[in-house]
Amino acid sequence: MSIALPAKRFAGIVAKVNAFLLIAFVLVAAFLGLVAYKQGWFVQQSPIHFVTANALGINKGMPVKLHGFTIGSVNNMELARGGVDVRLQIGSEYLSRIPEDSRAKYARESGLVGAGVIDILPGKADRSIADGALITFEPARALNEIIDDFRRQAMPAFNEVKAAMSQVGHAGEDVTQILANLRKEVEQLPATHRAIRKLVEEAAQATADVSKQASATLSAVEKVSKTVDRTIPEVSEKVVAGLQSIDAAAVQARKTGEEVQLTLRAARPLVEHSEVAAREAGDVLGAAKRVWPLSDSFKETSDGLLPIDSFEAEGKGRSR
Amino acid sequence: MRWLAAGLVLLVAACGGGKATNNNSGSNNTSLSQSRLTQAETRAAGFTKSGDYQNAARQYAEALRIATTLENAEAIAANAINLSIVSQWLGRDNDARAALDAVLADSHTAFSERRKIQAELRRAIVELGGGNTGAAAIWAGQAQSRCNATSCEYAAGILNVRAQIELESGHNAEAAQLAQSAAERSRSSGSQVELANALRTLGRARYAQSQYAAAMEPLKQALEIDREVGDPRKILADLADLSRAAEAAGDAAAAKDYKERGLAVSRAMNGGRGAPEAALTR
Repeated sequence: MSIALPAKRFAGIVAKVNAFLLIAFVLVAAFLGLVAYKQGWFVQQSPIHFVTANALGINKGMPVKLHGFTIGSVNNMELARGGVDVRLQIGSEYLSRIPEDSRAKYARESGLVGAGVIDILPGKADRSIADGALITFEPARALNEIIDDFRRQAMPAFNEVKAAMSQVGHAGEDVTQILANLRKEVEQLPATHRAIRKLVEEAAQATADVSKQASATLSAVEKVSKTVDRTIPEVSEKVVAGLQSIDAAAVQARKTGEEVQLTLRAARPLVEHSEVAAREAGDVLGAAKRVWPLSDSFKETSDGLLPIDSFEAEGKGRSR
Repeated sequence: MRWLAAGLVLLVAACGGGKATNNNSGSNNTSLSQSRLTQAETRAAGFTKSGDYQNAARQYAEALRIATTLENAEAIAANAINLSIVSQWLGRDNDARAALDAVLADSHTAFSERRKIQAELRRAIVELGGGNTGAAAIWAGQAQSRCNATSCEYAAGILNVRAQIELESGHNAEAAQLAQSAAERSRSSGSQVELANALRTLGRARYAQSQYAAAMEPLKQALEIDREVGDPRKILADLADLSRAAEAAGDAAAAKDYKERGLAVSRAMNGGRGAPEAALTR
C-alpha cells in the first residue's frame, strides 16, 4: 500500500536540510572556537617541567603563577624515576621573565588554606629559562612538619617560662601572696596621701604662726624703740611668747617629720614588693618574648639540604 | 548530506569524549613510611640546629634508610648529602664518604643532575678536607663538567674548591685566577658565603705569591662578609691570614692587632679557655 503525497510538498527538502546542518555546524564550530580561545589554545605556550618526589596536591590544570600573576597551568603529570614529572605550559611571552635558576613551589593562595597553585620563585640569573627546561621544585611542608617545628621552637620558651615561675616559687612567697600584699599596700595609699597632705597643711600653719609672731615681735621692737624703758617687760614677754611659738612650731615639725618617716617606712615594703613584682614580671616577659621566633617556623625552607660550603674543604669543619 | 550529518555527529562525540584525568589516585600504602621519613628528617634538622650532631647523624642515617626503601631518589640524595656534612663536622671522614656513595655509586637510581652535582662537590670537599688533593681534583672536575652542562647554582663553590686544590698543590697563580672567577660568580649569584671563601682563597694565593700588601684587601673584604654572616670559624681564619699578611708586609702593629683579635675570638670559641695559638700561627 502506498501513500500518495502531494507532488510539491518535499520539493527542495535536501537543500533545506543541508542549510540547517550547515548552520548547525557553523554554530558548533563557533562555540568550539570560543571555548578554545577561552582556554588559551591560540596563545603560544612553552613547556617547562620539574620532578617532585611527591605530587600530592598538584593537579592537572592547576594555575602557575609568577609574582601572583597567572602565567600558565599544569599540563601533564606522569610517573618518572625519582617521583612525578610535572609538565607546565607557560605563555611563551612570559618565559623571558623567568630567570634560568628559578624554582617552582607548591603554595596556597591564602596561606595554609585556599586554592593550591604552582608558584614560580624567580632566580637571579641573567639568562631566561629555555623552552622545555627542567627547574627545581621545592615541596611544601606538611602540617605535621610545621607542628613539629613549632613544638621544637616553642619548647625552650616554655621551659624558660617554667623556670621563671619556679624562681618565683623559690622566692619564699607565692605570687598570690605577693599580689595580696601589693593590694594591701595600694589600699593604704589614700591614707598615706592624707597624712602627707596633713603634714603640708601643718607645715603651712606653722610657717604662718612664725610669720605672725615675727610681725608681732617687730611691732614690739618698734614700740621698744619708742619707749624702751617703759616697755622692757612687755618686750621680754613678747619675746618669750615668740620663742614659745617657734618652739611649738619646731615640735610640730618634728612630729610631722616622724609621721613622714612612718609613712615612708610603710611605703617601703610596697616599693620593694613592686620592685620584686616588676623584676619577676620582667623575667616572665623575657621568656615569653622568646616565643616570637615561633614565627620563623612558617618560613619556607628550600629542600632541607644543609649548606654545601667550600670552607669545609679546609678541614676546619670539624671545629664547629 | 549523509556525510555531513555523520561528520557532525562525530564532531559532537569527539567534544564529549575527553580523557578522564586521574591525578592523585595516590597509593596510601607508602604514606606511613613517608611520614616516618619526614619525621626523621625533621628530627635531624632539629638536632643539627641545636648542635647535637651525633643525634643529627643518627636521624639522617635513618631518613636515608627509609628513603632507600621508598626508592625516593630526591630524599635519598638529600639525606645522603646531609649525613656526609654532619659526619664531616664530627670528624668522621670515612662516614662522610660512605654516605655520598648512596648517590655516587648507585647507577640504578635516576638522581637529578642537581643532586649529582651536589654529591660530587661534597665528595671533593670531603677529600680535600682529608688532604686527598688528587681525589678532590677528580670529583671537583666531574662536578664542574656536569655544572657546565646545566644551569648550575654551585659554580662558585666548585671554583672555590678547585682554587683551594691548586693552592694546596702549590699552583698559586692558577689558584688566584680560579678564586677570582669564583668571586665573580658569587657576586653574580648573590652568594655571600662563597664570595667570602673566594676572597679568602684569593688573599692566600696572593700571600703565597709574596704579594703581601695585595693579599690584605681581599682578606679584609672576606672578614667583613664573614662578620656579617656570623661564622666564628671563618672570622678566625680571616684574622689569622690578615695577621700573617700584615706581618709579611712589614706592618707589625696591624699584625699584632689582628693576632690579638684572633686570639680573643679563638678564646671565646673555646669557652674562655686558653686559646690554641696554632690557629693563628699556622
